[in-house]
Amino acid sequence: MKFPPFTYHRPRSIEEALDLLAEHGDDAKVLAGGQSLLPVMALRLGRPEHIVDIGSIVELATIDVDDDRLRVGAMVRHAEAEGSPRVAERAPLLRAALPHVGHRAIRSRGTVVGSIAHADAAAELPAVCLATNAEIELRSATQSRTINAADFFDGHFTTVAHSDELVTSVRFGTPGTHHAVIEQSRRHGDYAMVGVACQLTIADAIVTSAALAFFGVSSTAVRVAEAEAALIGTDAGPEAIASMRAAVTDVLEPDGDIHATAAYRRHVAGVVAARSIHAALHNEEAAA
Amino acid sequence: MTATRQTSGLGFVGQRVMRVEDERLLIGDGHFVADGDPTAVLHAAFLRSPFAHADVVSIDVSAARALDGVVRVFTAAELNARTNLFPPFLMTNGLYAPLFGCLSERRVRHVGDPVALVVATSRAIAEDALELIDVDYEELDAVGSIKAALLGNAPKVWERAKGNVLGDFTDEFGDVAAAFDAADHTIEATLTCPRQTNQPMETRGIVVTVDPDDGHLDVRSTTQAPHFLKWALAALLIDKPTLRSVGDFVRNKERRSAFGAAAKEFVAANRHRLTEQDPRGLLSQVRADRSTLPLMNRIGAGLLAAADYPTVRAGDIGGGFGSKGPVSREEIAIGAAASIMGQSIQWIEDRVENLLDGGQAREEQFRVRVAVDSDGTLRALDVDAIIDQGAYPGFPIPPSVTAKFWKVYMPGPYDFGAFRLRARTVATNKGKVVPYRGPWANETWMRERVIDIVAAELELDPGDVRAKNVLRPESMPPAMITGPTLDETMSAAKTLDHALAMIDRDELVQQKSTAEARGHRLGVGIACYHEAAPGPANFWSSIEPGSDLLLYEDGRAELAADGTIRMYTSQSPHGQSHQTTYKQVAADEFGVSMDDVEIVWGNTDRTQFTLLGTGGSRGGPLGAGVMRVTARNVRDKVAEVAADMLEANVSDIEIVAGNIHVAGVPAKGMTYRDVAAKLAADDGITSGPVLTDQVRYEGVGNGGWSVATHVAWVDIDLETGEVTIPRYVVVEDCGPIINPGVVDGQVRGGVAQGIGAVFYEKHHYDEHATLMTTTYMDYLIPTAMEIPEIEVVHLETLTDGENDARGVGEGGMIGAPAALTNAVSDALGVQVTEQHLPPYRLLELAGIIGPD
Repeated sequence: MKFPPFTYHRPRSIEEALDLLAEHGDDAKVLAGGQSLLPVMALRLGRPEHIVDIGSIVELATIDVDDDRLRVGAMVRHAEAEGSPRVAERAPLLRAALPHVGHRAIRSRGTVVGSIAHADAAAELPAVCLATNAEIELRSATQSRTINAADFFDGHFTTVAHSDELVTSVRFGTPGTHHAVIEQSRRHGDYAMVGVACQLTIADAIVTSAALAFFGVSSTAVRVAEAEAALIGTDAGPEAIASMRAAVTDVLEPDGDIHATAAYRRHVAGVVAARSIHAALHNEEAAA
Repeated sequence: MTATRQTSGLGFVGQRVMRVEDERLLIGDGHFVADGDPTAVLHAAFLRSPFAHADVVSIDVSAARALDGVVRVFTAAELNARTNLFPPFLMTNGLYAPLFGCLSERRVRHVGDPVALVVATSRAIAEDALELIDVDYEELDAVGSIKAALLGNAPKVWERAKGNVLGDFTDEFGDVAAAFDAADHTIEATLTCPRQTNQPMETRGIVVTVDPDDGHLDVRSTTQAPHFLKWALAALLIDKPTLRSVGDFVRNKERRSAFGAAAKEFVAANRHRLTEQDPRGLLSQVRADRSTLPLMNRIGAGLLAAADYPTVRAGDIGGGFGSKGPVSREEIAIGAAASIMGQSIQWIEDRVENLLDGGQAREEQFRVRVAVDSDGTLRALDVDAIIDQGAYPGFPIPPSVTAKFWKVYMPGPYDFGAFRLRARTVATNKGKVVPYRGPWANETWMRERVIDIVAAELELDPGDVRAKNVLRPESMPPAMITGPTLDETMSAAKTLDHALAMIDRDELVQQKSTAEARGHRLGVGIACYHEAAPGPANFWSSIEPGSDLLLYEDGRAELAADGTIRMYTSQSPHGQSHQTTYKQVAADEFGVSMDDVEIVWGNTDRTQFTLLGTGGSRGGPLGAGVMRVTARNVRDKVAEVAADMLEANVSDIEIVAGNIHVAGVPAKGMTYRDVAAKLAADDGITSGPVLTDQVRYEGVGNGGWSVATHVAWVDIDLETGEVTIPRYVVVEDCGPIINPGVVDGQVRGGVAQGIGAVFYEKHHYDEHATLMTTTYMDYLIPTAMEIPEIEVVHLETLTDGENDARGVGEGGMIGAPAALTNAVSDALGVQVTEQHLPPYRLLELAGIIGPD
């Protein structure tokens, strides 16, 4: 469990990092918090020849507000975002998800954007991106582009980002009025067997918009439009929740593994969805 | 408290004294095997098979040898030529013991089977080199389960075995057929337990340093049994051809006569035990593999001829739970490599290696029949049990020893009139099975589960059925039907009665309905057992005639010329608080403070030989016992000298807080240092011991039993299968307690591992024997978040033995799986027949979801 040999780079600016990625492309990997990359390397499941450590690029370590949307830079660690009043105010769903990410020690090193770029289908933050229509901001040495979260995740651990691109930041979408993240994991701090990020907008006691993004049930986080539709225009009461839940178990076709069977995941997806509505409606803190 | 006679006036024994180990360990001052200077040694890594079962067609190490930083690459052929095969140990009639080398040359038998060894200037380079070794494997069908192993056309894991059943033992006590005929009911069940792995915080490791002048090996290791590792290294590393070894021995008159004297003494001390031993074990082994005898001769000759045995030292060890007792193939390989190269080498196992083959346990199944009367009276137990032993048997304790434990333990603390066990050990293409904290524990799980199944069938209360059948002091037979003597003062019934009284049945009804109203189910489960800790002398002869050879502990106390008190133990502590408890015992005997006593362990040059080290719940009863006796003997000698010096009668000497004085005259006292100085001056000694006492301690008090009852309350969320444990109670009796805090810690740690077994930990091999749980992402050990408060009630029966503390380290793990699965059965109203119950399985059992 020792790293295979690699060349270590520690650029001081985004431009320098992008030049390195342009030069080494497929042979390079970006290192931010290292909470996923380093174990993969230690197990020799991945062997990048070049490591581009962006930890010294100060301008990436910022949380700001751009065009009314919260932007989180690539070196913002989970713990910092978790404690940020701006995050709580502008991206309450992200705030609700962060305590579920690993353990506190992991959140002290791991980064928000790193988790998104890593695209683990069982992780919380890609689901938060989908539920809030986040925008992923990428740069290469030659161009910049912004991709909607819905178009970013391509499969388990894969995204549409090119090997010469750096995810510089993520802009989270407009909050709703009610938010919750509910997951079921084997132990405290484990990846979820099933989880959901739920964002609702409720006006005059009627749901005007709903986003339910599930994780741990497919090769990427997924929204279930049929379940969202079952809530919109309702009071999110027991009947609406029941039909929403039926839609969830109807649509999702998760796989089984040693921790949970497919039947378990499908069933519990409905359970966490229903619980997320209750939690969103009753959790004043999450309702921001 | 006669069992804890005190002279210090400070009375450490029985007190919740803070552990003396903690400060050192918590501030990072512990000295673990990997804490040496990494630049002073070479680093090793093993190439391991990616296949569960394959022939090795060819191996090419040339590219690895050419890598910068690689010092040497050993193939299996090279290293096996310089080492003996692992010999059979604890042979028993009806068992075939496969012989195997430290690396696998022609065939690999499980994922992780080592085939080559790289020695390099760093572990990272060694791992780089592993990737350059080209092995051509021809994959074979693998045996992934007990079921697959028993199929008529199953591939054979061991060519020389008759099939995959390596051991097949049947024992019957009482008239089982008659008991079934006479009983009102026969109730049957088939119960299964998953594979687990002992997971110590520190993995295995060994550092072998070679003396450049004389080639002496100095070995630092994580071993629970340093002397056995020393013996194994001496036995398995080949220095010279057998004939030369024998010649050397014959020519060496001094060695010859020393050996003769030692052998004579050993035989005289153990004559009855030696004659009891069953020769059929060796005979059946030799019939199965004729190379056994030449191998044993070669090993014997080597041991006789070796002028120099390695020194083995164990420092701080981060847990073991049994897995560091056996000597592993890797340790022999590293010892051989260092010896051949004449260079120091270290191997620190990584977690993936540890999960692959650091030690696995408990994958067992039971087909059970119980004869029972309508009123719940248990008449007979008839069990057909199978152990999945993996490919390579552990050394020196093969998995068949578990079957032998079962033969004695299985009726438990209950009055079964008759009992029969057929137990088979079956080879599969999996990692090796080692003892794991209460290695026989699944017999308690099986029996306690079956008692609940019986209660459910007869519509009786499980607590009542236990209370009706448990062996009570007033009617206790002199011995279990399986042999070992019982002790009416130490009865499981007492713990059972106490525990049952702690269950408020009205409150339980209320708790159940409250849970139901929330969409949950709540249940309560009981488990009751007794364990030999270390048991009466005939416990061991019941397991295997002659094996009570092992039931003693040597120890030594000394007063050094500078006044230091040193206690030498052959135990190898790895988390059990030996240092604290032995200091408590010795300080009380000497009448000094705990700081005045130094405990010496783990160094084979300084402590007495033992095959066992730490294991078998012996540290409290035997290890502390010999500390007590030798300390007292030295203290009495000191009192005699002091009496002379003070011109007093020895019976008037008191020692309080290190002050040695005539009773009533503490102001005119002296210290151990004064006495030591006097003796040193008299004898002209400047350093080293002035007084020594060495004892072989065999006293285990009244039978050496520990007893306990566990009660678990389990709450299951019927929507998610999530489990919480609102309450967990252990009522235990391990005799007079040396340190209640240490006992609490042992009990709670064991219960935590039991919670792991039932709800979190399963070492998962697929049907092709590929291990799925190779990291902690998949092998789930419960954390502090998953472990509830565990209430421990100590009944602490005081007896009149000299040192009646009983072992308590294994019990927590023995009782917990049974109490928890019984609680789940009660909660769901379903009789659970498997030990491992992850959330999805609970929802399947509850009928919420179907199987995939």
